[in-house]
Amino acid sequence: MRHWMSSLTLNQKLAALAFVLGVVAVFAKPTGGGAVTIDPNDLARIVETEVDHVDPLDLADWIMAGRADYRLVDLRDEKAFGEYHIPGAQRLLITDLPDAGLPRNEKIVLYSDGGIHSAQAWFLLKAKGYTGVYMLLGGLDAWRDEVLFPTLAKNPTPYQQQRNEKLTAIARHFGGQPRSGAADTEAAPQIAAMPKLELPAGVAAPAGAAKKKKKEGC
Amino acid sequence: MSPTAQTLNEPWGDGRDATRAVDGAAPAPYMNPYLAGIGLGLVLLAAFVIMGRGLGASGAVNAFVAWVVGSLAPAHAQSNAFLAEYLGDGTTHPLKAWLVFEVLGVFAGALLSGLLAHRVRVSVEKGPRVSAGLRLALAFTGGATMAFGAALARGCTSGQALTGGSMLNAGSWVTMLAIFGGAYALAYFVKWQWR
Amino acid sequence: MNTPFYKYGAFGDETSLVVAFVIGIGFGFFLERAGFGSARKLVSQFYLNDLAVFKVMFTAIVTAMLGATYLAWMGVLDLSLVYLTPTVLWPQLVGGLVLGIGFVIGGYCPGTSVASVATGRLDGLAFVLGLPVGTLLFAEAFPWIRGFYENGSVGVQTLPGVFDLPYGLVVFAVVLMALGGFAGASWIEKKFQPR
Repeated sequence: MRHWMSSLTLNQKLAALAFVLGVVAVFAKPTGGGAVTIDPNDLARIVETEVDHVDPLDLADWIMAGRADYRLVDLRDEKAFGEYHIPGAQRLLITDLPDAGLPRNEKIVLYSDGGIHSAQAWFLLKAKGYTGVYMLLGGLDAWRDEVLFPTLAKNPTPYQQQRNEKLTAIARHFGGQPRSGAADTEAAPQIAAMPKLELPAGVAAPAGAAKKKKKEGC
Repeated sequence: MSPTAQTLNEPWGDGRDATRAVDGAAPAPYMNPYLAGIGLGLVLLAAFVIMGRGLGASGAVNAFVAWVVGSLAPAHAQSNAFLAEYLGDGTTHPLKAWLVFEVLGVFAGALLSGLLAHRVRVSVEKGPRVSAGLRLALAFTGGATMAFGAALARGCTSGQALTGGSMLNAGSWVTMLAIFGGAYALAYFVKWQWR
Repeated sequence: MNTPFYKYGAFGDETSLVVAFVIGIGFGFFLERAGFGSARKLVSQFYLNDLAVFKVMFTAIVTAMLGATYLAWMGVLDLSLVYLTPTVLWPQLVGGLVLGIGFVIGGYCPGTSVASVATGRLDGLAFVLGLPVGTLLFAEAFPWIRGFYENGSVGVQTLPGVFDLPYGLVVFAVVLMALGGFAGASWIEKKFQPR
């Protein structure tokens, strides 16, 4: 046996190796099949430390600064998306999330009306191995309350006055306006008064579209 | 003077050619093609594992042309659907593309291998029946032709045949077979350039 | 699953350009090792005297293909994250033919032409200079050929998908085909030895 094998040339040995590897490869299942693995302890720790949340005001800052290092995903239906969505968001249903091909080396910020769907979507993406997934804390409800129609402090101290001005500027930028004083009476009109979708001049184009600059070609 | 099989395997193909490399040494014979292929395959595999993409070359040319046109006639470049893709939204320089840097690496790697094997010298590769001038004109024409074909096919032999071939990409196999088909079909008609 | 490293965020775009250069070095190194900086060696494939092109290319394809398949099987490599060009039947078929024609006229393909310039070939330089001209012609003609460019677009398709066969079986078939080709290559080279 050994004598026979040693009389093969290098090329023939390589060919034999390739043949064996090829035969074994018949049984290969390289495409995974969509199974996911999760580490419960890891996930629990992340949830507890809340490192996966993004505050609406932080998101507002990112948008105003024209940052393009994140993807904003709106999980609601088409009609709701059409009425209003946070500037720069792309719409994806939860069912489409796993196959949407979202990049793994970018931050992905998920939001829905409140926090439930975004939390569930977060879990899905985490299970698929995404590392940079975040939820908008409080969802669109919080965006409305904190960014679009913020409540300004009454009788503000100098510090609060500064904050009021900042909140007002942010609200105006996104087409909203601050609430003044009695919050409850203004709750009803808010729903009808969601700002139109025309983006103010300074807002960056949707993060998903223009950002994909280089064709990945050959 | 037709080359013999022996001389084809000698680096400069002509047993009577006494020219030495730029460093004055005789050229080393080429590597066993199967070993070179394994080396190439491992480089390709490394690209898959590290970058999640394969090799390429024509894409770098596209980026370069997009940059030149974009610099000289920006409006025209932006309105051209093909070139605009390589310019993107302007946040990154078109030449800061993966393929551009990869092609620079190809130059460096080939130079390294050539120097190690004493195979670097100024020459014009051609058959005995054509002049150097004609050969250069044909090479230029061939380059332009290949670039056009590569744009149509979404890649050249490196991107489609090599990369796409190993990934069992259907379109790449079509391209690869077409490349071999086209080359074999025309080979007889341009034989005077090479033999 | 934690590869491809780049797609899992292991490093950013700037670093990926360095990676591109290093991978390119490997690419160019083995191209020159195989003798692919020489147009005469390359075109000998199409005169059946020297089938190194076939040997190197298919060894590389088989190596990378087996490597990727095994790594994916072991759960190390996420194949779905490796970029594949979409299949567009007609332009790839025609583009491939044009590529083949350009190959025997020019004597190189885009990747090997860079290797050839690195080792001092002036015809390689002429070829490289022709490349952007071809791309520019394509870009200018694009508005008119755009329809054809997209004709037969079927998205990303793999051979196992198209033939509805298990991935591993297609891998084995490619290996068999390559090995058969290598065996045949020796026979063909002897038969077509130039006189």
